[in-house]
Amino acid sequence: MSNLLQEETVSKIASFDGIDVYTIKTDKFKTSSINVFFHTNLDRQRVTKNALIPAVLRRGCRRFPTFQEIALHLEELYGATFDCGVTKMGERHIIQFYIEFVSEVFTEEGSKQFDKAFDLIYGIITQPVLEKGAFKDEYVKQEKENLKRLIESRVNDKMQYAVEKCLEETCKDEPYGIYDYGFVSDLRDINAQNLYEQYIAMLETYPVQVYIAGSASDDSVEKAVEKLKSLRPKTGGDFGDLSDKKLSGPSQDSFNKSVTEVRNVVERFSVNQGKLSLGFRTNTRPDSKDYYALLVYNGILGGGVHSKLFQNVREKASLAYYAFSRLEKFKGLMVVSSGIEIGNKDKALEIILQQIAEIKAGNITDYEFESTLKTIETNVKSLRDNQLQIVTHYLGQSIANTNDTFDDLIRKTSQVTKQEVVDVAQKIQLDTIYFLTSKEQA
Amino acid sequence: MDIKTVKYDKIGETLYIYEHKSGLKAFLIPKKGYSKKYATFATHYGSINNEFIVPGEENVTRVPDGIAHFLEHKLFEQKDGSVMDKFSKLGSNPNAYTSFSQTVYLFSCTDKFDENFQLLLNYVQNPYITEESVEKEKGIIGQEIRMYEDDPNWRSFFNLLGAFYKSHPVKIDIAGTIESISQINREILYKCYNTFYHPSNMVICVVGDLEPESVFEQVEKYIEHSESRDEIKRLFPDEISSLNKDYVEQSLAVSTPLFQMGFKDDPKGLSGFETLEREVAVKILLEMIMGKSSALYNELYSQGLINNTFDFDYTIEENYAFSMFGGESPDPVKVRDIISSKIEEFHKTGLNREDYERIRKAVNGKFLRRFNSVENISHLFVSVYFRGVNIFDYLDVYDKMNFEYINEIFSKHFNLSNLALSVVKPA
Repeated sequence: MSNLLQEETVSKIASFDGIDVYTIKTDKFKTSSINVFFHTNLDRQRVTKNALIPAVLRRGCRRFPTFQEIALHLEELYGATFDCGVTKMGERHIIQFYIEFVSEVFTEEGSKQFDKAFDLIYGIITQPVLEKGAFKDEYVKQEKENLKRLIESRVNDKMQYAVEKCLEETCKDEPYGIYDYGFVSDLRDINAQNLYEQYIAMLETYPVQVYIAGSASDDSVEKAVEKLKSLRPKTGGDFGDLSDKKLSGPSQDSFNKSVTEVRNVVERFSVNQGKLSLGFRTNTRPDSKDYYALLVYNGILGGGVHSKLFQNVREKASLAYYAFSRLEKFKGLMVVSSGIEIGNKDKALEIILQQIAEIKAGNITDYEFESTLKTIETNVKSLRDNQLQIVTHYLGQSIANTNDTFDDLIRKTSQVTKQEVVDVAQKIQLDTIYFLTSKEQA
Repeated sequence: MDIKTVKYDKIGETLYIYEHKSGLKAFLIPKKGYSKKYATFATHYGSINNEFIVPGEENVTRVPDGIAHFLEHKLFEQKDGSVMDKFSKLGSNPNAYTSFSQTVYLFSCTDKFDENFQLLLNYVQNPYITEESVEKEKGIIGQEIRMYEDDPNWRSFFNLLGAFYKSHPVKIDIAGTIESISQINREILYKCYNTFYHPSNMVICVVGDLEPESVFEQVEKYIEHSESRDEIKRLFPDEISSLNKDYVEQSLAVSTPLFQMGFKDDPKGLSGFETLEREVAVKILLEMIMGKSSALYNELYSQGLINNTFDFDYTIEENYAFSMFGGESPDPVKVRDIISSKIEEFHKTGLNREDYERIRKAVNGKFLRRFNSVENISHLFVSVYFRGVNIFDYLDVYDKMNFEYINEIFSKHFNLSNLALSVVKPA
């Protein structure tokens, strides 16, 4: 192991009030970052408001009451980047805030980059612009309109839409079927007052993770931790923590779903190219030993140029420019997607299903198997070269209730055998066939 | 072995340079502590080079649109199968892309760099193209073209280029059309290959935790040509300096209209370094005029006329240049009118020096951030290299940048008679 590069490891440095603070120390980047994640469950009742909260918060805070003033301040911090939004990981809904800034070594002496960046992100999260004891009405109205447009314009990117929509259809009657940015029809009843109430609930009760990555000094980090201690109300709130059983994770029984009948869903647009997506249940939890075999399975099926999908759908049959498979590990799903000539749908479907049958029957070449293991190793090692990906890796570990470092992940996948891949293949079930097609197609 | 070393202490980076006897230059930018190693082998040949005179010939060669991109696809095929398979066995990620003026072959790996690098150098120098494989590729590229036909951002981008340019080939889709690629055959592909893939027309750039001697020894060993060659004459039609059209629109399956607009620029006569200066100046100006801290952005945003998707950029090459800005909007024409009147106002009242100072600092910080990523460094390096400069020249550009020059470029570039708008509307 001595020839391995030193790992970008995570350390939990504080834990209080349902807030966990982690540092990932490294000086190989020119920048440092602070990432704040609020965790909650994905549900219809809260999803749209959760999506709207960061959009309203980014408009201004007490110290910088307008978006323009925040932008000016970011420029003063040598072009720091601030962003926020929501995402789903399995049936967990995550509200995230992020700031990345040039590390102090590359700035003029005495410019306290970390302290200033922390103050800004903390101010945006905790001190919104208020009006009559609620959010500023103008900001809420405008951001409702922006969110409406964001939800509606999902269809603009057909490639991504066909993947997301397929998985939503697969989980039509489960929380995972909910789009992370919510519902246009739920916007009508949201106002500055009830949105503010949910924001207060977020602040007071949602479990929080803070990741500080880069080269911040211990002193600065300590000061930041002190400030975080005033995030929750002084009276002591009913905050959950990340081990809370009420929080959605792979431990819930939402995992194993037996498919009785494959559903067919067709959606029509004015398009030239059809997008065929297949949604599968892997019936494999991310905290089980089988998960590593599933990773290898996915690599063999559609995880790169060596994969069965790329080789057969694209290289041999010339049916597509892209054909891949991807896992949603937290909910036990897999999606296969490809862009094809509309008239070739049946042919493409047949070839895709044939590849799945091949793995199930144990037909995996040494080339496919070895290339997959090596590709996974390369991809995992490469994650370490990107600060945001390092943070996302550890966030994912915490949601999956696993504790794998990058090296653990590489070691455990490298020990997977062909037989284990074939075994995991038996559990994978096709659930939904989604086809995005033209208006003219019969 | 003659290796040149240039240190850039201010940003903590070093550049190693080696020149091969064929005229090919190779560069290494070491990144200590990084797992990923990234190597590119690129040729100064892209989608715009569809008319040229082969060195030693007299006649002009005219080739079908999309051929540079087609050739990029075909180089992966080797006598003993696809080279992708060999990279896959090593666990590395091979890739390639074609832009207006370059074709770039690359891989990233974390292990066995030497074997991967040798593979890259070998396959790019040894094409193996059969008629059968050309026909097969037409199906795959056909689907790539179809995919872009349905991509509203791509369409609004190319429609704007069509508004800027009457005849310059930059307006033609990089992959060509289903019709144009149907004319491609083995013979024309080889002709293009032999013309543009001589080492003297190429560059190698390696980024990662590596030693210069071992990288350059491989270059020395595996570059097959030993002699330099005469220059290729690249021909371009005469282009008008004014716009071709000032407005274009198309209907697609989108929910909200999308738009791109921008100013057509004229870079003729600029040296490589001057193109970098122009680029940085226009980018600073775009930030000053319509960046997130500007009054204009905030006015458009609070009126609901733009959203988070609004963005801008500037492109400059030897014989074409343009700025471009856009995103989603319920009323792109109104956005254009508001932007136009604001720019007119700046022409009358002048620019603000404080804005300039603050934004220069921010843009400089963002440039520094690009050095976080081995792929970002490589892409940027290759994208400016054939203009006769390297990425570290940006440091000098930032040092020399001043408010007077910014004002000069503002008057030159932000000329409203060169402003065109492209809209993609819901079908």
